[in-house]
Amino acid sequence: MLQDPDLILQCRQVTKQVTTGEKTLEILQPINLQVRPSETVAIIGASGSGKTTLLSLLAGLDTPSQGEIYLKQQPLHKFDEEQRSAVRAKHVGFIFQSFLLINSLTALENVMLPAELAGDSNAQERALSMLAKVGLKDRAEHFPSQLSGGEQQRVAIARAFISSPDILFADEPTGNLDSKTGDTVSELLFELNQQQGTTLVLVTHDNDLAAQCQRQLVMHAGELTEAVKPVAEVV
Amino acid sequence: MSAWATQSWRLFRHELKRGELTIIALALIIAVASVFSLSGFSAQIKSALIQQSNSFIAADRVLQSSRPVEEKYLNKADEMGLQHAQLLQFSSMVFGGDDMVLASVKAVSNGYPLRGSLLVATPDDQNQLSVGSVAPPKQGSAYVGQSLLNNLNLNIGDRFELGNSEFTISGVIDKEPDASFSVFTSGPRVMIHVDDVPATDIVQPGSRLTYKYLFAGDAIVEYSEWAKPQILETQRFRDIKDQQSPLANALNRAESYLSLASMLGIILAAVAVSVASRRYGQRHQPMVAVYKSIGASASFISKLYLLHWGALAGFSILVGLIIGYGIQYLGIQFMADVVPGVSLTVSAYPVLVAVFTGVICAVAFAITPLRQLIATPAISVIRGFAGFERAQSWLERTPPLLAVVLLLWLFSQDLLLTTALMLGAGAIIFTILVLGHVLINAGRSVGSQAGQAFHLSMANLKRRAKANQVQLVSFTIAIQLLLLMLVVRNDLINEWQAQLPQNTPNQFLVNVSQTQVPAVEEFLHTQGLAASDLYPIVRGRLSAINEEQVRRRVSKEEEDASEQGRRGIGRELNLTWHQKLPSENEVIAGQWFNQDNPKPEVSVEQKLAERLQVSVGDELTFQIGSETVSMPVTSIRTVNWQSMQPNFYMIFSESVLADFPATYIAAIYVPALQKTEFQTFLQDYPTISIIDVDAIINQLRTVISQVSLAVEFILILVLIAGALVLVAQVQASMEERERELAILRTLGAKGSLLANSVLLEFVILGALAGLLGSLSMEIGVFILQTQVFDMSAAIHWQYWLLGTVLGAVIVGALGMASCYRLLKLSSLTLIRRTL
Repeated sequence: MLQDPDLILQCRQVTKQVTTGEKTLEILQPINLQVRPSETVAIIGASGSGKTTLLSLLAGLDTPSQGEIYLKQQPLHKFDEEQRSAVRAKHVGFIFQSFLLINSLTALENVMLPAELAGDSNAQERALSMLAKVGLKDRAEHFPSQLSGGEQQRVAIARAFISSPDILFADEPTGNLDSKTGDTVSELLFELNQQQGTTLVLVTHDNDLAAQCQRQLVMHAGELTEAVKPVAEVV
Repeated sequence: MSAWATQSWRLFRHELKRGELTIIALALIIAVASVFSLSGFSAQIKSALIQQSNSFIAADRVLQSSRPVEEKYLNKADEMGLQHAQLLQFSSMVFGGDDMVLASVKAVSNGYPLRGSLLVATPDDQNQLSVGSVAPPKQGSAYVGQSLLNNLNLNIGDRFELGNSEFTISGVIDKEPDASFSVFTSGPRVMIHVDDVPATDIVQPGSRLTYKYLFAGDAIVEYSEWAKPQILETQRFRDIKDQQSPLANALNRAESYLSLASMLGIILAAVAVSVASRRYGQRHQPMVAVYKSIGASASFISKLYLLHWGALAGFSILVGLIIGYGIQYLGIQFMADVVPGVSLTVSAYPVLVAVFTGVICAVAFAITPLRQLIATPAISVIRGFAGFERAQSWLERTPPLLAVVLLLWLFSQDLLLTTALMLGAGAIIFTILVLGHVLINAGRSVGSQAGQAFHLSMANLKRRAKANQVQLVSFTIAIQLLLLMLVVRNDLINEWQAQLPQNTPNQFLVNVSQTQVPAVEEFLHTQGLAASDLYPIVRGRLSAINEEQVRRRVSKEEEDASEQGRRGIGRELNLTWHQKLPSENEVIAGQWFNQDNPKPEVSVEQKLAERLQVSVGDELTFQIGSETVSMPVTSIRTVNWQSMQPNFYMIFSESVLADFPATYIAAIYVPALQKTEFQTFLQDYPTISIIDVDAIINQLRTVISQVSLAVEFILILVLIAGALVLVAQVQASMEERERELAILRTLGAKGSLLANSVLLEFVILGALAGLLGSLSMEIGVFILQTQVFDMSAAIHWQYWLLGTVLGAVIVGALGMASCYRLLKLSSLTLIRRTL
């Protein structure tokens, strides 16, 4: 089946099952999803509803049990780990709930990482400028353990945007932060997103955060539906 | 630089600086440093000790033969740049004035002795005698023993006849480096130049002669390898360690101990590397997942980590070599005062072995953790990390096992010992796993009735049973090996000291006639001197076993010619009779003579009995002078040949030998203060010969104390390696505990409760490991003492308690120290670090 060239991300009948012992668990019911470039999409839902599983499939970290996923027209469901890695390197940025910075590298080196992987010779310059954008230029030489949670997430945001990804996946980006820091971080996230025109798919509990996205999808027991009511009433 | 290389180098630099690689680097460093210092140091000490001890045979190697040896032996020695000298020993009558005496003649060539020095009292310019190290006698002159001067009433400068030649006495022998330990050397010593022998006309076909060729020099090992396969059965090629003497025994055992210590050092270091490399893999998993999630390929990760690990291994090996050299330097500085001859030259071999050890450890122990690490899936950034929790398959355990076997074999060059060690270790690990499981389970049911901290700690032990078993195995191995080294060292040193107690006989009285016996006994009694019994000596030859004639001599040439006839001894034996079983002898078959039922009987030494294939009940026939006597073997004895006592192959019941003329022999301890009385007494009995072994015993004591010191030093090195295993293991397990502590802390558990539960957990683990370690140590010691060190085995109860207590204290303290650091962190920091 041909993909729509206007879509950056497309899912058709994607399911995910896991087998534990003799039981097979349906984590995702057949899911269909289409995301246009520069769109911002929030996936909301209760814990265990399958939203993070979906995120990992969309980002090519995992493969679906059935169905098709196209990211930038590339059939992720057919790709092996190496090919999916290559897709991620070229098109994808990540922000995780637990920041996942490399503890043994400084803030600057963490931010440089994707640019260096892409063979960018100006990695350091660009990383410094990204750190400046997230307000951490003076903490460039600090190691993650020397930074607060909010600062670590800002470094993670800088790392996610440095390679100007086509699509950014954020998994509860404010989940580990207090509300004030969370607000600062989300502001920063949307600001950079707007500047770069990046597509954003974020998974969150936070209704306010979700409300800042153009679309809100609700995940409930493995089923994904477009939110028709205001977000606050759904969750 | 490629991106992977940049990343790799950056990680390495930061991690090294931040101390994140300390444990793994330290484990490799210790492996390399201990192997380097142990192999270098023990090789140095061994060669210095052997060099020094070689003075006991006046050479590095001696080739002994009853005929002159082929020229090729000397030519080859010249070719290899070895020094060599020749000795010819025989007995002959010496005539001086109107008297004559049967002397033990030793003709020596220039260069004698090649090791040690010949001390002779010679007159100086003022005609005063002074003892000094001298060259062999010039042609026409001789050095003689004091007893020859006494017997023949001669003085320095006088002449005596030997065969058809005359010699001038130019000095009195004070000490020959290679003086015999044997007390049966007949007659006073005469030392002449070997070139004078032909003129004496003493050497005739059929003369009983002993030719000795002495060799020394750097290429001696290569020379030995060349010579050994060629020598005939009638010849002997030996070094100091082939001697059946207390010294050879001490040296052999010390050598075994040093090798064993080095091998155990390797095992300990390997265990530390294994523990630390697993932890290294675990710690790097999140990094790999992050790299992969942002698009790094598997080959990128592989190259990154190969370089990272390579840099780490290279760095550790280099530091290990430097530290190893430092340890060796310190050790040798420390030993230099007591072991003359040690030097700081580093030979290539220890460096190679150490580098090889480092590489093997780094490769074999890292393969599995690195493979698991590199295989970490990107999805772990979301799902978390579980790769290292699963049990390892046998395939994954193979490389480390093979590596240890290879290293041990390389180091010991002894496949049997290596296999035995590995099988033993396998059995011990299995036992530990089973026992540990049972004990922890048993502990838990007790724990549920005890206090809160104890309950928590037992629950923790049980919950982490799998991880704990791994810990238990490494704690136990460390404690076991340390105890093993300690116990074997103590037993060795004690036995060495016991071999030469304070009143070890230092004088032998030989040639005491039957009529002199009462006077000698009376003197010993009044002076209160410790002495062995007086043993009569009758010389005789074994002529038949069960009426079957024995061959007189066994040699390669004669073997084919005379296939018939049983194997004999080929020389005259010193036969004795005695009513009591001598001390240091033990009957292992049959019965000692019954005093109430005097009949002809003989007791045979065990090894000789084996060689002659005789057992209790066999009939032996001896030719004594012109008479033939036969008697049954009624007992087989073991003899401690290392005791400085008169020892005999054959002891007869009184009725067999009582009627033959005999001379008597006794071993006496004469304290320095009573020496004058002793000499005064003997002046009245000029025919009694004395053999003074005081100097030999003192030298033995010195060597043994040096060996003991070397053993202690090595023990310390092994202790360090063992301590590292404990630290690495506690550190590794502490990281596993961090998360749990964070949760408990968050749930409001008091610091003291957590501290107590962690302390108890480690104390229990330590005590258990100590107990199991002691148990397995006992098995190890038993095997080593009976198989390797040839000692009698004993149970060491005191170490069981020591092992258990030390295990609890050390492991508990290490656990507490690591835990204290964690408990001092605020709950928030803990949570941030781990969750």
